[in-house]
Amino acid sequence: MSASVLHTEVGVSDEKQAVAKSAGRRFGALVVRLGAIAAFAAIMAYFVIFAPGFTSTFNLINVVEQSAILGVLAYGMTAVIIGGGSDVTEGGIDLSIAANMGLCAAVYATLLSMGYGDFLSVLAAIAVGMAVGALNALAVVGFGILPLLATLAVLNVAAGMELTLTQNTVVGASSPLLGVLVSGSFLGISALAWALIVFSAIMIVVVHGTSFGLRLYAVGGHPEAARAAGISVPFYVSFTYVLSGFCAAVASILTVSRLSASTPGSGELLLSVLAAALLGTVFSRRFVPTMGGTLLSVLFIGLLANGFQLLNVSSYWVNGVQGALILLVVAITSFARGSEGSR
Amino acid sequence: MIRSMKGLVKALALGLAAACSLAAISSANAEELSLKGKRIGVSAIGTDHYWDLMAFKGIQDRVKELGGEVIALDAGRKDQQQIAQLQTLIAQKPDAIIEQLGNLEVLNPWLQKIRDAGIPLFTVDTATPHAINNTTSNNYNIGAEIALQMVADMGGKGNVLVFNGFYSVPVCKIRYDQLKYVLTSFPDVKIVEPELRDVIPNTVQSAYSNVTDMLTKSPEKGSIGAVWACWDVPQIGATQAVEAAGRTEVKTYGIDGSPEVIKMVMDPKSSAGAVAAQQPYEIGKTSVDNAAKYLAGQKVPPFTFVPSVLINKENAAEKGKPFLDAAEKAGVK
Repeated sequence: MSASVLHTEVGVSDEKQAVAKSAGRRFGALVVRLGAIAAFAAIMAYFVIFAPGFTSTFNLINVVEQSAILGVLAYGMTAVIIGGGSDVTEGGIDLSIAANMGLCAAVYATLLSMGYGDFLSVLAAIAVGMAVGALNALAVVGFGILPLLATLAVLNVAAGMELTLTQNTVVGASSPLLGVLVSGSFLGISALAWALIVFSAIMIVVVHGTSFGLRLYAVGGHPEAARAAGISVPFYVSFTYVLSGFCAAVASILTVSRLSASTPGSGELLLSVLAAALLGTVFSRRFVPTMGGTLLSVLFIGLLANGFQLLNVSSYWVNGVQGALILLVVAITSFARGSEGSR
Repeated sequence: MIRSMKGLVKALALGLAAACSLAAISSANAEELSLKGKRIGVSAIGTDHYWDLMAFKGIQDRVKELGGEVIALDAGRKDQQQIAQLQTLIAQKPDAIIEQLGNLEVLNPWLQKIRDAGIPLFTVDTATPHAINNTTSNNYNIGAEIALQMVADMGGKGNVLVFNGFYSVPVCKIRYDQLKYVLTSFPDVKIVEPELRDVIPNTVQSAYSNVTDMLTKSPEKGSIGAVWACWDVPQIGATQAVEAAGRTEVKTYGIDGSPEVIKMVMDPKSSAGAVAAQQPYEIGKTSVDNAAKYLAGQKVPPFTFVPSVLINKENAAEKGKPFLDAAEKAGVK
């Protein structure tokens, strides 16, 4: 909210003519955005009516549980996009986040299987995740490489390190912490679902309820203005990549608990993570990524797969629909941004 | 231990008896078995490989044939997705679940949950204590047969390149262990260390470059005698690499019987030495029959073996054809 106020103030300095011209397009974008939300709502309504068992508490908690890992990763991605700006080609993006999770999971599972306790193994996983994040930060902020390319390179580094560590095998893991995550529950809600709820609450409060979050939006929205206002842009941008690495580490612990092992192929999650972060922008008035929007789209992606299965529609459709939605949202976003670009 | 030995002997005897009267039994049972009004959940880790697709198809076709409704789930080789699908499947409370392949370490806690929810579980090619029945090939036989064929072709001595990337997949473990066991009797046949790792995806390309690298590393003819893999997709890449390097003294060995590989073995000029061909479509169908029998209150053995055939250079022309015909009939390439 406050971020959008700041953004508007920046916009006030624009020429009046351009403002008037963009107002029309902005209205168009609003219509398309509401259309997208209506499409989301229509799909959900269809599931509620036709998918047997869709609305049962048990099923909904299942979906929250299934969304936990994707959610934590998507928050990392969202933070990077907020801090780096949401321009798809030159803005912030962390392509290494899923591979980083794979590496952290491998480190965590390997250390556990070597007999190190939870405390040390978790600490190591988080350290590795943040180190990979710091490497991204160094490449993007230090060397000034395009985030798209820098994080693509780091993706390969992380994936290679994971392969070296695990030799592309499944590393089984069990520990007291994993036991709690697998079978623990509180108020009828499982530990994994709680992990998503608590993590979401923290991210929403930090990004949308503090002056830190406000400055983060300023850095991503208009770096020059932020710099002029005395905000250290490099620090904030670097911070988002390290935070993203932290999210990858947290997600890795959740994933090891869910699969009772670290397994190859974590990189496959990247598309869903990107989808969640990008889809989330339609829930914001100015098409900027928000933590709440990301949460909604993560749950939407989870409900989509779930609803299709309950309707006995082939799972092959899920990918297709997900891809179509990304295309739609990116189209809408570019359309809305077109109005700003023309000023 | 003794009990399981007894069970094995019993099952082998049963399998033999079943094989002898296979035609008679299957036609008699087909009329009795029915899945009318039943919902059967089917979960496969992936269907990108010929074997997987044929088995997955066999399961679905058979459930429909018996009048049941099938909930077919393909996890696209993603563990996370398979777990999510199984979790939702449990909530859907089908009459039975058939699970096909995947990482046992990942699956076992979830297979346990299926049983805890009171849903009968059947598996295809996946040995787990949680399944009522596992329908598969006799991988102990397959593993020993292909290893012995390889040793025979090598003349009892030489070095073998071994792909061992999927030891966590139960059938690969059995085949690899059988290979090792056979080799204890032939000390002059040595596995080249470190072993190679087969991967999914890009299995063929990766096997091609691995084998090419190893041949480059050992350039003298005869320094490597054979390439072994627990399935036949790496065998494709290995065979191509051997032929491209002009090292035709090296022969390749694999298991499954993808049409492409059977054709290679049938080709006298190809370096593909032998392949143990399974009947994945039949395996899928048989697992459904087992589920139907169980749901009808009949007793079901803990595992069912569907016969497989070792196709080598000598018998390829005769034995290979029926498999190629079956693949064509099922419409799977």
